[in-house]
Amino acid sequence: MNDVVVSVRGLVKRYGEVEALGGVDLDVRRGEIFGLLGPNGAGKTTLIGIVAGMVRATAGSVTVLGKDVVRDYRETRRAVGLVPQEINFDPFFTVEESLHIQAGYFGVRLSEERLTEILSALDLAAKRTAMTRSLSGGMKRRLLIGKALVHEPKVLFLDEPTAGVDVELRQALWRYVRTLRDRGTTVVLTTHYIEEAEELADRIGLIDKGRLLLVEDKAALVARHQGMRLQDIYVSLVSRREPAGGAA
Amino acid sequence: MITLGLRTLFAKEVRRFLRVPGQTLLSPLVTTTLYLAVFGWSLGGRLRDVDGIPYAHFIVPGLVALGVVSNSYLNTASSLFVMKIQGTIVDLLVAPLSYGEILAGFLGAAALRGLLVGGLTWVAGGLAGGFDLAHPIFTLAVLLLVALVFAALGLMTAIWATSFEQVNFFPTFIITPLTFLGGVFYSAHMVPSVLRRFTLANPVFYMVDAVRFGILGRAEAHPVSGLAVLAVLAALTVGGAWALLRSGYKLRG
Repeated sequence: MNDVVVSVRGLVKRYGEVEALGGVDLDVRRGEIFGLLGPNGAGKTTLIGIVAGMVRATAGSVTVLGKDVVRDYRETRRAVGLVPQEINFDPFFTVEESLHIQAGYFGVRLSEERLTEILSALDLAAKRTAMTRSLSGGMKRRLLIGKALVHEPKVLFLDEPTAGVDVELRQALWRYVRTLRDRGTTVVLTTHYIEEAEELADRIGLIDKGRLLLVEDKAALVARHQGMRLQDIYVSLVSRREPAGGAA
Repeated sequence: MITLGLRTLFAKEVRRFLRVPGQTLLSPLVTTTLYLAVFGWSLGGRLRDVDGIPYAHFIVPGLVALGVVSNSYLNTASSLFVMKIQGTIVDLLVAPLSYGEILAGFLGAAALRGLLVGGLTWVAGGLAGGFDLAHPIFTLAVLLLVALVFAALGLMTAIWATSFEQVNFFPTFIITPLTFLGGVFYSAHMVPSVLRRFTLANPVFYMVDAVRFGILGRAEAHPVSGLAVLAVLAALTVGGAWALLRSGYKLRG
């Protein structure tokens, strides 16, 4: 049990009549890259939004490092970093100021050493004093990752981190995610790119229509399906839940 | 306790409005100076005085209150609404800040902007006709309460609003009419009985009147009644804003 850093039990989220999550149970283990794979609208963003504190659950519970995300929100949010799917930036501030502000929200004074380390790792050192509105799309996405890392979270959630980015940036982000995992950060990655989950994840969860279809080690999953590619496994599992002719 | 998180949010909000001083500080000052020029110095010559106070002096407290009302409201309303539109609200929602810290950060910065504009207005009025400040502590307390009331209203509007039109609805159709009909430019005794009754039923009148007592030492109502109205309104609006933040309404899915 000590290896479980995020525990989700019976998680339900309804938006009026629409059920975004229909009773999800999930454990994320310490130090792994967990790939949460599913089509658009499957419930991935809702699930990590509840863990990070952005969304309130209708029913069920979530703990991070054994603490309840509602009752002990200060402790759990300090342990979690979130890179949102949508790019956002505050045009009034520079890259450096944005990182200092985000650290301050978490009660952390960002040291010069840590600031330099984040800027270098994300290839933003040359843009340190640039206003955020002047950054390219790729730089803004890297800044979002930097903001999620300022308080050195134990668990990092990346919500569709490579959606709409070019191949070069995607490769760079993948390398950085592996580096974080190697340093001991648990990473939860949501994606609808199968190759991303195949490339990065240690374990994979398939989610569709708010229900978790399976959770399994990637290697075991592929082996169990007799060497099928993850893409084929995914299509096979999701299509079982679709009416004939439905798109995955 | 003033935590680093609260200090960071407050400082960020203050820096935000100081980055655009032409829009947030100078623009309202220009508007107020025009009011002083037209109503105080031009038409004021014809009105001479109100209850023994030169008209150019009489309107200064109301204009100070008007500056505090508008700018404290606009600061929270525009800042939080733009955060919602830009998506940067996520930065706050995932942080381990309590609702009290978020509320205090936004209201503190908005009150500071309102008081700065109010102070600049008072200086502009003083440079033209002479400085009055009968009860400095009372004036500051009243203006701080006025700022809190309207900053909290701005925060609630920003949480509720889904368009800029909705953000502007409240100042256009409620704040401005209540302020202009709240005795900024006239005494309740000067106007016809219908307007007098409306004025006396308008809570903004008691705010303006309390500021007038603080600055000029003269008031139409008992100054304590203005302070009492303000204290009740501040408790209701700040409490309402806190409850709305805590409910997660339109913020936390």
